[in-house]
Amino acid sequence: MRPAVAQYYPGDSPIHRLDARAKFVAVTALAVALFLRDSFAGLAVFAAAGAVAYVLSGVPASWFWRAFRPLLWLVGLTFLAQVLFAPGEAFYSFWIFHFSWEGLAFAAFLSLRLLVLVLIGSVLTLTTQPMALTDGLAWLGRPLRRLRVPTDELALMVTIALRFIPTLLVEVDQIMRAQRARGADFGSGGPIKRARALVPVLTPLFVLSFRRADELALAMEARCYRPGIVRTRLHPLKAGVADALLLVVTAAVIAAGLLV
Amino acid sequence: MSDHLGHVVERGAQASPLHTAGMALECRDLGFSYTEARTQIPALRDVAFSLEAGGSLALLGASGSGKSTLLQVVKGLDAPETGAVLLDGAGGGEAGYSGLQRQVGLVFQTPELQLFAASAREDVAFGPRRLGWTEAEVAAAVDEALELVGLPPERFGERHPYALSGGEQRRLALAGVLAMRPRLLLLDEPFVSLDPATRRELSAILVRLRASGVTLVLATHDVDLAWALCDELLLLDAGRVRAAGGWEFGEEGAGLLGAERLREPFLVQLWRRLGRDPRQAPRTYAEAAEALA
Repeated sequence: MRPAVAQYYPGDSPIHRLDARAKFVAVTALAVALFLRDSFAGLAVFAAAGAVAYVLSGVPASWFWRAFRPLLWLVGLTFLAQVLFAPGEAFYSFWIFHFSWEGLAFAAFLSLRLLVLVLIGSVLTLTTQPMALTDGLAWLGRPLRRLRVPTDELALMVTIALRFIPTLLVEVDQIMRAQRARGADFGSGGPIKRARALVPVLTPLFVLSFRRADELALAMEARCYRPGIVRTRLHPLKAGVADALLLVVTAAVIAAGLLV
Repeated sequence: MSDHLGHVVERGAQASPLHTAGMALECRDLGFSYTEARTQIPALRDVAFSLEAGGSLALLGASGSGKSTLLQVVKGLDAPETGAVLLDGAGGGEAGYSGLQRQVGLVFQTPELQLFAASAREDVAFGPRRLGWTEAEVAAAVDEALELVGLPPERFGERHPYALSGGEQRRLALAGVLAMRPRLLLLDEPFVSLDPATRRELSAILVRLRASGVTLVLATHDVDLAWALCDELLLLDAGRVRAAGGWEFGEEGAGLLGAERLREPFLVQLWRRLGRDPRQAPRTYAEAAEALA
């Protein structure tokens, strides 16, 4: 069963092998730059960079499509809103709506910018294991520890949460089967009836989750987990030449995108 | 030596008050596979066997051999990819098949995980209510089932399921299935992580159910309880049937069980050590004591 949240595509491409921190910094910088520049030429540069990363990642198009699909309605809505309400000299008017070439161009620009953003962001989430990303974020957040923000503990919480998503999905499946064997019906009726049908699933699931959390906390304490101390890692994050190269290329892309 | 051997399973025990006529089960060349990361993992391959109404079958095999999958396919939670499950001779799609499917009870591994209601009585009533019975019928079935599993309704009916002990929870979950008056009862590892006293009580319940005519299929690693409770066996290996039918304890049978990470039942081994014919080995300690007296 594939978790719906963490959409990592396992692979060994050059993009997969890059350090999570470098990828996160590069994607964040690109996203910011993307919103600093209001021209189709700049957009084209960022889109080209995203397309190159997509090809290098070796992730099938169908996986990217899955990332795009839920956002299409947002893109469509943005487009419509801009087309209908953007100021400009109207070439066609209908009731309160005024169509102008400026409006069309602006709507297309905003929609494309959104799509490029999703493309670049997807390269990061599709090629980086959620746990590596969490570790990378914890590392990047280290300066915050001086302000007493428990970054390592927050990272551990996220890691544990991600780790248990597949486990919980298996348990939901087991409990639903058990209740179906007792005649429960999850597929028919209106929304209220369906929500009520979930009570026999959710109650045991919560009880089980709390019990599991309790046991996990005890097991971690038994293995000497103490919050607030610096932990060593089995797989330390390693940045190399390729990661430095990524940051240099990213800087070049941003410069190009902002200057063209 | 396993812990439950101190008890006697009486085979001719009194009938349970459930009074159900058993259901005949036949599986024809069942095939089923799971899809994991776009690859098909076969779980059942050409599984064929039949069990008469009122019969009792031990489903044996190593972990991962397909026991749980087979039970879920028989109950109809998963549709077989090939072959068919016949209940009382009727196959899927025939008139009345879904009604027959409702008369199949399936007790999951660690069924206490399914408890959810605020009282024991309410939890047991969940299944019967789904069958569309009247409240009076539901109440009668609930009391009967609670009584049968040794949780008298006047003492346990209003208790919160999560306030019960592990063994009581297991029996309550069993009551939740028995209250639906199954004619074919499928049990998936019912004895796992139970203390000796609860094992004893649970096997006594199963003996009573059998005596009342319910057809039993018991998936278990516990060959001694399987030997005491079940007339027939089905040995699965990686989703295929290795042996089906009566227990056979020639040299071949012993080797077969050993190869599947199991062993011969204790009483069979004892009879062999005593130089007696293992095929004549008694099923219960009472029978053994009688034969040795």
